[in-house]
Amino acid sequence: MTKQIELSGVNKYYGAYHALKNIDLSIEKGSFVALVGPSGCGKSTLLRSLAGLESISTGDLKIAGELMNKVPPRKRDIAMVFQSYALYPHMTVEQNLTYSLRIRRVAKAEAKKAAEEVAATTGLSHLLGRYPRELSGGQRQRVAMSRAIIRHPKAFLFDEPLSNLDAALRVHMRKEIRTLHDRLHATSVYVTHDQIEAMTMADHVVVMKDGVIEQQGAPLELYDRPANRFVAGFIGSPAMNFVPATVGEDGRSLAVDIGEKQTIPLDRQLQPGRKVTAGLRPEHLHFVEPGQGVFRLPVGIVETTGSATYITTSTATEVTVVDTTRRPVRAGDVIDVSIRPADVHIFDAETGLRV
Amino acid sequence: MTETNRNRLMLLIAIVMAAIYLFPLYWMYITALKSGSEMFATPPTFWPSVPQWSTYAFVWESRGMGRYLWNSLVIASGAVVLITVLGVGCAYVLARYRNVWVDIGLFLILMLQVLPASLMITPIFVGFSQLGMLDYPRLAVIIAIAAKSMPFFVVLVRATFMAVPMELEEAALVDGNSRVGAFFHIVLPLARNGILVSAILIFMQAFGEFVYSKSIIQDIELQPASVGLNSFMGPNTNEWNNIMAYATIYVTPILAIFVLLQRRIVSGLTSGAIK
Amino acid sequence: MPHSPSSGPTGHLLPAGERLNRMADAPSSISSRKGLSSAQAPGSPVRDVGGPVTRLLSSVRDGRGFDIVLVAFPLGFLFLMAGLPLLYNVLMSFQEVDMFSLGTLMRPFVGLKNYRDLFAQPETLPILANTAIFVVGSIAGQFLIGFGLALFFWVNFPGAAWLRGLFLVSWVMPGLVVGAIWNWILSGDFGVLNFILREGGIISANIFWRSDPNYSLYAVILANIWLGTAFNMILLSVGLAGIPADLYEAAELDGANAWQRFWTITLPMMRSTIGAIIALGLIFTLQQFDLFAAITSGGPNNSSNVTQYWAWEQSFRQYDFAKGATISVLMIVFVMIASVVYVRSTRHEVRG
Repeated sequence: MTKQIELSGVNKYYGAYHALKNIDLSIEKGSFVALVGPSGCGKSTLLRSLAGLESISTGDLKIAGELMNKVPPRKRDIAMVFQSYALYPHMTVEQNLTYSLRIRRVAKAEAKKAAEEVAATTGLSHLLGRYPRELSGGQRQRVAMSRAIIRHPKAFLFDEPLSNLDAALRVHMRKEIRTLHDRLHATSVYVTHDQIEAMTMADHVVVMKDGVIEQQGAPLELYDRPANRFVAGFIGSPAMNFVPATVGEDGRSLAVDIGEKQTIPLDRQLQPGRKVTAGLRPEHLHFVEPGQGVFRLPVGIVETTGSATYITTSTATEVTVVDTTRRPVRAGDVIDVSIRPADVHIFDAETGLRV
Repeated sequence: MTETNRNRLMLLIAIVMAAIYLFPLYWMYITALKSGSEMFATPPTFWPSVPQWSTYAFVWESRGMGRYLWNSLVIASGAVVLITVLGVGCAYVLARYRNVWVDIGLFLILMLQVLPASLMITPIFVGFSQLGMLDYPRLAVIIAIAAKSMPFFVVLVRATFMAVPMELEEAALVDGNSRVGAFFHIVLPLARNGILVSAILIFMQAFGEFVYSKSIIQDIELQPASVGLNSFMGPNTNEWNNIMAYATIYVTPILAIFVLLQRRIVSGLTSGAIK
Repeated sequence: MPHSPSSGPTGHLLPAGERLNRMADAPSSISSRKGLSSAQAPGSPVRDVGGPVTRLLSSVRDGRGFDIVLVAFPLGFLFLMAGLPLLYNVLMSFQEVDMFSLGTLMRPFVGLKNYRDLFAQPETLPILANTAIFVVGSIAGQFLIGFGLALFFWVNFPGAAWLRGLFLVSWVMPGLVVGAIWNWILSGDFGVLNFILREGGIISANIFWRSDPNYSLYAVILANIWLGTAFNMILLSVGLAGIPADLYEAAELDGANAWQRFWTITLPMMRSTIGAIIALGLIFTLQQFDLFAAITSGGPNNSSNVTQYWAWEQSFRQYDFAKGATISVLMIVFVMIASVVYVRSTRHEVRG
């Protein structure tokens, strides 16, 4: 596997503001990488630095082995799909698609042929003569993608490309982009604030916060073994429950404090008496017969989505439970739930790091 | 009252108000067509009894209006070209960035926009006379007008550039264009209408410019129509029909441009002056 | 090892022909493309090192240099043609400048004499007072009539936008033509305004607008109000259109009547627009010169003279350039204060 994009020790300052902090990241050729994090975490800045639209302050950025720190965007041979699509409004779809080819002085006939081929694969053939303002949101999205594809660049950069679409179309385009990637095997970097998008589309997810990479890895790795409380809370929906807990005197049990103390077994040995935070995913808490569970929880709010029921408890530390069995539950009931010891995530109470 | 009737009533009131407001313009056109005696009739006539169309030809000939208008055209065109060439790039940079330097630049430009021409003419005239620029009076006036009007142009065109999404330019850069190429291929075509409207506004202003021309251009052969009109209006003139004919010839082309492009000019003007 | 960017063995600088081939077998040739990129020699990174000229040129093409070039020429021009005259003006106000010393910089310095002389002149204070009356009267008239018209046209009926725009002809006409028309309308014996006022029973004897010192300043103010009202109206209309309609719906549901809605929503929401318009009005009014030249020439006996016309008169009628410069300096300081107000009121814009 060759590295298509490599960043080492990259920092970016805007005056006194430190936007990217010592970023090390390498992206393999042909992989689909998602940069995800809350707004202001630096993911877009990182993407724009790859494109050359922002310059990095220190560190090295290599694309296909070449140092790109000071190379202008036009010489980096990468394509970018913008959040607003950035279709040139004064050009037809065909002119939009062939713009990069025309700049590179590709012959007219060649460019036209390339546009037709790409349009055929993205279902735009009948729209080549239209102007962007005459297209629907989904069609504009496709034009933006096709404009990137036509060049066979060293990498595709996506800057929240689906955030302007309605929910149904977003789910559809998600699959379409992934299908396209599986066909072209082009190196892709995809920025999103939506962890579901990141998890469903990417081979490799990079979670960022405040200009720092919190964790990176395969989607399930992030879900199964979040490195810290932030990643644990960010990945997964509904979000993980965090409850204060103390390791029991035997070191193999955990006293969990949800209003009243409940003790759950541990699958490993920890230092007795240690203060920790227990992370319990809502979907890992399941109903058991009364008296059989480890938690007896009073029900506060019940939300029904049809496929699942979200139950929020009225305990001092709120806990959310997801139920897909359509068990009839009402506010005020007391429910008995259990969790497998292996599903309990434990974080240090102070540092928030995984224990 | 139904919606339609209400609209009709509003429209009627609006037309009456417009008629009152535009009465001075009407009076100019009407007076130009009156004979020397009808013009001083009491009560005044609001429609000429015998329209004197020959007044126009007479004024055109006797006042040498062709030469005056030609000079106005030369001065206005020169100023527009100079302002556009210099001002478009400046407006673009001021629109593209938001930082302390841009704020300072913008502040200085707005400051220059407000300096009254009649106050600036003294140092400009003295300076130009020392540089020998007064030997090329029309060029001197063009430069003076450009310095006076460019800030206004920059403010208007900057608003146009701000309406062009920065991402389009970035997309062009990623697509393989240089800054220069992206500017000419993407940004300029998209800002073209705004630039055109601003240039027309500047043209109309420069076409009617008076202070600089009056002060700098001594040679009657090189004076523009505004100075010509000024010298036509002596303190005790009674040739009002001729003066109004002069004014009509002078102002009608400007009004025609304005009425034709009214929507664009109004929206271009309002986007820049107030945000 | 330094070498110019264009000589590096890099993929993005493939000869046009090779690139063309890559395009030609698109998009089915991903595998061949892979082969191509892995064939590139790794480990010889392109460094941004060229001669200073190359670097400069590439900065103009691709970097900040482009912005600097674009902005340097206009700012340089403005500095030469507006900034320097401004400073020169200040210099001249401390010198003695007449027709004979016009051609030299080495004129005798007189200290504050020009300023002292200016304030010792009997006409100075009346002219300053005239300026104040002209400014206040013009702005008040333009603003109030303009606001009234803007509110009327705010009610959207077919043709409203077009008719509203038509008002702006008063603003695009050359000031001298506006002055000529009003000069004729305001004429004493045969002016149509006097006729209308007489017929309307408002006056019994003709007013000699231009030659009566009691009226001459108001004659110019009248013409200036006509000239500027439309501009005020258009900008106020924009401000009105910017108030969200749901605010009014909410206020109506809360039980506010039309009058209360105007005072509690329209006016507060328009505050920054109104501030900007009044500041702009002040600036335009202080620039007004043509109307004076066309209607009264500042007369009779300075009764309608204002500073911006007077400064010009001193320089170009009396050839006392030092005095003209001195008046200009005083006025420009005042105008600049007004423009600070204007700049502050337009600062709230947000980059879109």
